[in-house]
Amino acid sequence: MTPDVFLFWFLALTTVLAALGVIISANPIYSVLSLVMTMVGVAAIFVTLGAYFLAGVQLIVYAGAVLVLFVMVLMLFDLKHEIHAFTRGPVTGAIKIAAVGLLGGMIVGAIALSANSLMKTENNGIQTVIEGDSTKALGKLLFSQYLFGFEALGVLLLVVAVGAVALARAKGGTHAQH
Amino acid sequence: MGRDSFEIIVNGVKMIVIFLMMVQVVPILVWLERRGSAFIQNRFGPNRVGPLGLLQLLADAVKFLTKEEFFPEKGIKFLYYAAPVSALIPATLAFLAIPLGAPIKLDTFEMFGQTWGPYTFLIQGYEIGVGIVFILAVSSLAAYTILMAGWGSGNKYALLGALRASSQTISYELAMGLSIVGVILLYGTFNLTDMVTSQQGPLSFLFQGHTVTLGWLPNWGIFYQPLAALIFYAAAFAESNRLPFDLAEGEAELVAGFHVEYGGFKFNLFFIGEYGHCLVASALMVTFFFGGYQIPLITPDEMLVHVQGLMGAGNAAAIVNGLLHHVVFLIKMAVFVWIFIQVRWTLPRFRYDQLMDLGWKTMLPWALANTILTAALIYVAHT
Amino acid sequence: MPLGGVLFIVVFLIAFGCLMLWLASKLGTQKIADPVKYQSYECGIPVQEKKDTKISVKFYLTAILFIIFDIEIIFMYPWATTFKDSLAAGQGLYVLLSMGAFLLIFIFGLFWEVKSKALEWD
Repeated sequence: MTPDVFLFWFLALTTVLAALGVIISANPIYSVLSLVMTMVGVAAIFVTLGAYFLAGVQLIVYAGAVLVLFVMVLMLFDLKHEIHAFTRGPVTGAIKIAAVGLLGGMIVGAIALSANSLMKTENNGIQTVIEGDSTKALGKLLFSQYLFGFEALGVLLLVVAVGAVALARAKGGTHAQH
Repeated sequence: MGRDSFEIIVNGVKMIVIFLMMVQVVPILVWLERRGSAFIQNRFGPNRVGPLGLLQLLADAVKFLTKEEFFPEKGIKFLYYAAPVSALIPATLAFLAIPLGAPIKLDTFEMFGQTWGPYTFLIQGYEIGVGIVFILAVSSLAAYTILMAGWGSGNKYALLGALRASSQTISYELAMGLSIVGVILLYGTFNLTDMVTSQQGPLSFLFQGHTVTLGWLPNWGIFYQPLAALIFYAAAFAESNRLPFDLAEGEAELVAGFHVEYGGFKFNLFFIGEYGHCLVASALMVTFFFGGYQIPLITPDEMLVHVQGLMGAGNAAAIVNGLLHHVVFLIKMAVFVWIFIQVRWTLPRFRYDQLMDLGWKTMLPWALANTILTAALIYVAHT
Repeated sequence: MPLGGVLFIVVFLIAFGCLMLWLASKLGTQKIADPVKYQSYECGIPVQEKKDTKISVKFYLTAILFIIFDIEIIFMYPWATTFKDSLAAGQGLYVLLSMGAFLLIFIFGLFWEVKSKALEWD
């Protein structure tokens, strides 16, 4: 086993186990910390593929920003009732069974669909890994082929910001002043 | 360049040595901080143990190790113990990615009856192509350590401290990230080694097709990006939760912040992490704006020729040259670490709203202005 | 590959941290059993249970706005690395203006947020 192959299997196994931890752990805090671990694992796999910048962005945006918000929210709400409601009771049991069935179906389907390509050993039409730094290529593509999407994203983020501020300012609910 | 056992062993040992260096610097910094604060406040400071109180470091280490093991009854065991251990990781990973000295180029040599080399060893844990992005990425993981400690302690003051610390950290991460855009524009790369290399020699730049040279100034980033340097350094203070931005630990309201339930060596690990962030910030200041490991006005290659003139050509000269540049880097870094300490004992603490206003309404717009100005200037200079 | 080095040092750090904690627990002084000692440290007043903590929505808003601006800043990074290359290739004005449009949206967003008092703390 070459170091590269070992590294891939190690990272893949860690990532999948962490992802399992997200859905298995009953405590939401552990769930979200496992999700952090999953993101870090995915970033490391990006590195093995030569996508260094993407790996960094994965960490900065998902692990460093989005999930910090998740952790903060979970830590500050008292979730005892919710934990109880989501781990016990007949409705929850039915949902669990349905979820297991769904997952099993997805796995069977994925294997059935990809059995052909799994058997093949030669290149499945996937482009070979870009050697060296792919960041500059990314920057050039962003400003030529995908310029419209890039500018549209700026507008989208603005709309999201406006929406968040509007929601936070809304009066009502448990925090109503009057 | 093939990889053999010698190279792998040297690289592994090098990483551990750099980490241990970081750990060893912490007690020295603590001593410096206590003596320095005493000097500023016209007190004596620690002066009982050993000459100038220097053995205080050793006494502190022994004290940390022999403290009683403590676990709060409402704590969560896994998170409570995992937090201090993981506190070491972000700062160390970031510090290892910074070039700390000129690369050492070794010719072939004989050892154990075999011929080895030639090798190029970097005085750096590992070289990463996207250096800055890597450092920002691992530093952003530091928030989890704080949140884990705050939650795992089972204490509401710890949780509030963790919340304020992480909220503050993310507010200043924006200004920091944006100030770096100006730096990247200037050098056109993420790679820290390339940044250092492009700062060598005297100040000279291209302006509308003419090369302007000022022979008496080094070609340092600070002369191109003074505003970015200021914003970056100020944001680094906030990121490492030090005064004047230490609201996370405001004693009057929060007892001691997220580490209120920690004592002994567990607290010491947090301490190492926190000082590690100061070291990373100082090292990045040197790398971005003050020429990295280079001696002003002399490139490492020219210096190598001088050293070889003294010692004769050979591997010894290459090693001495590398270590010389490492010492230069450490001296430059020490200046910024001292400013960290000086500021801590000179400025009062901000109020929370002032802190947030400074981050969002002052530093973020200025960093934005810096980015636009830099881009416009580069455009004018190059056309 | 730097990833090997990163993994190596992470494993080393975890081992180092655990070793130190273990050592400290072995060398530490004997425990003196006293139930009061292990209560949460709340300045000596009787411990109050955390029932339903209400934290200002400002903290969440700050975090959401941080995510949004963080993504916008991340998008500037590839632009910043390729800017000099684009200048050399003669596409300088085009890249500058397309980034300018993006920056205008960014500035408008920041301006609007300051004006909407979403960033006011009291």
